[in-house]
Amino acid sequence: MALPQPLRTSVTPLELELIASEQLVEIVPLISMEKTAFISGAYGPLRPPAKCRIPLWMATNLKLKKKCHIVPPEWLSVAEFLQERLNRETSQPEFSKLPFRFAEIAKVILDVASDDIQNADKIRSLLKDLREARQAKSRDGLQKLDHSELSLPNLCSMEINEIRPFFVQAMGVLTQLVKEPVADARPDGDY
Amino acid sequence: MSKRLINVAHQPGPTCIAFSRDGKLAYTGGSDSLVRIWHTDEGEDQEPDIATEANEGVTTVTAANDYWLSGSEDSEVRRYPTGKNELDGLVTSAVGVAVRSLAVDPRGRRVAVTSDELSVKLIDLEEVTKVTTLSAHKRGVRKVTWHPSGSLLTTSGSDGSIIVWDVSEDEAKVEKTIEGVIPAVADTQSPEFLHDCSAVWHTSGQYFFAASRTHEIVTISRETWSKTFTYTDANATGPTTALALSANGVYLASSCGEEILVWSVQTRRVLWRNTGTPKASTIQIAFSPTQNLLAWTDTDGMLTRWPEPIPAGSPDPVRPIAAAGAQGAAVKRAGTPNLWNDGDVAAGAPGDEEDEYGGEDWIIDDLGGGMEDEPEQPGVGMRPAGDGFVKEMVSITKAQPAFQPGSTPMENKKRYLAYNMVGVIEVTDQDTHHIVNVEFHDRSTRKGYHFTDHFKYDLGCLGERGALFGCPPELDHPAQVIYKPYGTWSTQGDWTYVLPSGQRVLGLAAGGERPMRSLRDPSESGGDAQGHGNVVIATSAGDLTFVSGSGVERIVLGLEGEYVTMVAGEECVLVVHRPGATTIDGSQSLVATLISFEDFEVLQEKPLPIPKGQVLKWVGMTDEGAPAIYDSAGYVHIMINFRRPNRGTWARLLDTNTLERKQGKDESYWAVGLSQDTFMCLILKGRQEHPGFPRPLIQELAVRMPFRNKDPTDAPIEERIARERVHINLARDALGDELTSPDLDKREVELDKSLLKLIQAACKADKAPRVLELTKRLHFTHSIDAARQVAGFYRLIGLQEKIDAIKEWKADSLSPAEEARERRRNLGEEDTAMARPKPFQDFKAPRKVERPGLARSAGVVEHTEFTASNAAARAVRAKAVERSASRSTSPEGKRKRDEEEDFASNGFDGEVKRRALGEVDAVLPLAKPRDNPFARKAGQEPKRNPFARKPEVNKPIQKSESFFNKVEAAELDKGKRECQSCVVDDAIWYLTLLCY
Repeated sequence: MALPQPLRTSVTPLELELIASEQLVEIVPLISMEKTAFISGAYGPLRPPAKCRIPLWMATNLKLKKKCHIVPPEWLSVAEFLQERLNRETSQPEFSKLPFRFAEIAKVILDVASDDIQNADKIRSLLKDLREARQAKSRDGLQKLDHSELSLPNLCSMEINEIRPFFVQAMGVLTQLVKEPVADARPDGDY
Repeated sequence: MSKRLINVAHQPGPTCIAFSRDGKLAYTGGSDSLVRIWHTDEGEDQEPDIATEANEGVTTVTAANDYWLSGSEDSEVRRYPTGKNELDGLVTSAVGVAVRSLAVDPRGRRVAVTSDELSVKLIDLEEVTKVTTLSAHKRGVRKVTWHPSGSLLTTSGSDGSIIVWDVSEDEAKVEKTIEGVIPAVADTQSPEFLHDCSAVWHTSGQYFFAASRTHEIVTISRETWSKTFTYTDANATGPTTALALSANGVYLASSCGEEILVWSVQTRRVLWRNTGTPKASTIQIAFSPTQNLLAWTDTDGMLTRWPEPIPAGSPDPVRPIAAAGAQGAAVKRAGTPNLWNDGDVAAGAPGDEEDEYGGEDWIIDDLGGGMEDEPEQPGVGMRPAGDGFVKEMVSITKAQPAFQPGSTPMENKKRYLAYNMVGVIEVTDQDTHHIVNVEFHDRSTRKGYHFTDHFKYDLGCLGERGALFGCPPELDHPAQVIYKPYGTWSTQGDWTYVLPSGQRVLGLAAGGERPMRSLRDPSESGGDAQGHGNVVIATSAGDLTFVSGSGVERIVLGLEGEYVTMVAGEECVLVVHRPGATTIDGSQSLVATLISFEDFEVLQEKPLPIPKGQVLKWVGMTDEGAPAIYDSAGYVHIMINFRRPNRGTWARLLDTNTLERKQGKDESYWAVGLSQDTFMCLILKGRQEHPGFPRPLIQELAVRMPFRNKDPTDAPIEERIARERVHINLARDALGDELTSPDLDKREVELDKSLLKLIQAACKADKAPRVLELTKRLHFTHSIDAARQVAGFYRLIGLQEKIDAIKEWKADSLSPAEEARERRRNLGEEDTAMARPKPFQDFKAPRKVERPGLARSAGVVEHTEFTASNAAARAVRAKAVERSASRSTSPEGKRKRDEEEDFASNGFDGEVKRRALGEVDAVLPLAKPRDNPFARKAGQEPKRNPFARKPEVNKPIQKSESFFNKVEAAELDKGKRECQSCVVDDAIWYLTLLCY
């Protein structure tokens, strides 16, 4: 959401992408490699044509060197899955269940490996629709905002990140407002 | 080329020709309004019968079962009895315009008549007043043909449209109008009007041929009604004036200018040529339905007969294609039901034969026309109303044709020649040539490439060391095989192996060691230093030719029976062949032979475990080099013990029908490879039989042995243990004399962990026999200790004692590695009897003498005189007997026992007692001076490799095996159950350490 610079105190999407890059994805390697130890763990061995699970950052790296095909995760490869989620998103009030870091992973995979995905364009537009539908919902959540709690189940990391600075500020202000009339009944907020 | 027989038949002008259905007669008609009846078995000097009834030029003749018919420009269609020239009657007449074409349906019941009228008449031959009129053409109709099933009719109009009619029901309807294929010719007097524009259906019924207006011959697919292939030749550029298909659909004859061309339907190339009459244009060609004979008539009125247009050695134009020479196009079996369903006789047993195998798809047609039914020629000899013998009843199981594992038939101008764990060979058909694209899964080891292929390779194989291609013989070149090793960057390593003419390649296999480093680097450190592998070629001469990777012929082995398929591994080749015939009850009776490359030794010869009515779909080698097969029933088998000569057997590793993902879905699996835990395959949806393009991703299915125990906790572990056992054994067989490796030890430790889990579950359920059996299968002494502690945890003291006993036998008997070595030695001894040289003919170096005295001094496990060497069970029984005897006789033992009892009665605390228990082992051997500590166990020790790893190396060197001590310790232990809880703690700790 468009916020003035001082309010944007949370992590940037790029940083989130970096965090999401630790997640494991399946690849079909095109090169063979022994099992290799990294700080996050040991991955491999790569033995084409057997599939292998490696972190997304490594998959991206290999893909850019044309050394693997990324096998898109189940929820990204089937256009019907996203379509169904979008239908649910638009027809029901609550957020539908999606992988926590779906936005980041989908973006990375679509950026580097769109040739490994069937109907990449369709998936892109579906993801955009999903994002807009969910954004609208989180804006609606603003109305329900009160000082103490906000329950938005199935919100994903990118969306949490998006609303966090503003919501936190707003909740702080609301707490201030609520605190004064009942100052003695409620000794203190956390803010 | 054999001599042609030329007769002057008619006046110059339009002519026509047709063979009678038995092929004995040929009818020709001409512009002199005569029809002559020729005997095909007579020479040029015969005097043909003449039918003179027509008043104007005869434009068309055709033959039915009992009649022949002629149509002429006087607008009459006349009918005559077969072989006679006496008019039987008029069939129909057009209204004042010329009849242009006649066609009798394959069953001989209806005749289609086209004329310069706009409508086509369909007349019942039995009742000529029953006429169906088909009108959709906007100009006169020039030609008419039938689909082999008799349910479709194709008419070619002079406006350039081909109309396909569905005439299976009483009411005919237009199935499709195809515009723009054949030329539009309006002027009936122009020479172009005489050119053949008919749609000539292939015997498979999948497509028809037509001469297009662009002077090509094209095929139109029945499924899409669009152009699929074109037949072009550089030397035949003019319009095609006549077209004919051989009786079995293998050859196509066409005339172009003054030339007669015979094409191969499958390769779409001109195979043979002949020249027609100079300066005349051939009007109609016909293949004899029963003989190797081609005949044509031309505008000069000449009848030319060409006996044996197809030379000996090529597939016959009449007989249905045999399995071995199956080079037919990708066709499905022609639908047979029509033949029987409407027949009033014997529509029973023989017709139903197919249904036993689940309809006509029960067999997978890998090579296309290989399994094709006989083309239907009702009226020739298969008349259902004949003498009651409808079909041959013997050997109704169709023999599976030869195939290359991982290849697909040509579909939409693309096919896979090979698809395996190394890579993929894709072929794209460009009409005049093929584009071959070779891609590898592992691009770091090998570099993909593509090339233009003018030989039209139809066999391919990707080995570890090189790619192999084979092509069929054609007009200008014989069958040949080309090998392209990967290790070289130029073509200098390639070699071609040419077969003598008349022979063809049936199958190829390229094997070789797996490369240790990249083959992309062509320096001397690269791949070629390790050789280019081995090549095996199966030829139609009934042999297997072994050629080395650099093109040196090594040996030619005869192959008993029919070749089916083969695959090569690192050190051996698996050949599948059929020694006899298929059995009458549906078995393919295939046999697999494993032949080593080293000295062509047959390692195994086993029949394939394929259920009846099923066929072999794939053969391959697993990662460990074990032969694996996959059949149409959905079973995956590998050959275990394949390295022990004649002791291999097929183990079922996976039943794809019971896969979870298959439930409720209609899908099948197309095997690509098999590794230890995964079955690599392509998943085909629905009735699809071959993978298509673009190349699908390889899917991995977990290998599960089809065990039937459905226990949710134990069954998966049991299955895993059994499978791991198989693979450990395979890996151990592959090792040299060492028989053990750190890797194998690690795997066995893992196996022990799984076994301990099972033991724990069994202890919990109080299943003592199961615990004991599982304990016996443990590999290491410390795992047995753990099992003992687990039993202790569940307070199963009796069990614990038995486990102790097991441990003791284990210590006595050989370790698994030693056992395996022992067994291997025994096998070797069994086989040496055959190889032993005769006395005084042994020129080998003297045998190595074992000198135990000079061997390294090593810690020796000490045994009492009571210990049997390896028969553990017997030993214990003996001990039990001896126990009572020795107790009474040995004063020494008795005294010892008393001492121990004193200890116990003195009431030490548990801690001390436990220590005492441990000390018993360490202390007591000193009290056994009788034993010779340097004694060796017979038969075991001298053979032992002094450098072999010993699992028990960190044990105390001196270890008592005395039975008394054990018994006493156990008895001592019985009195101390209260201290078990400490042991349980230990056991749990131990188990957790092991398991997690």
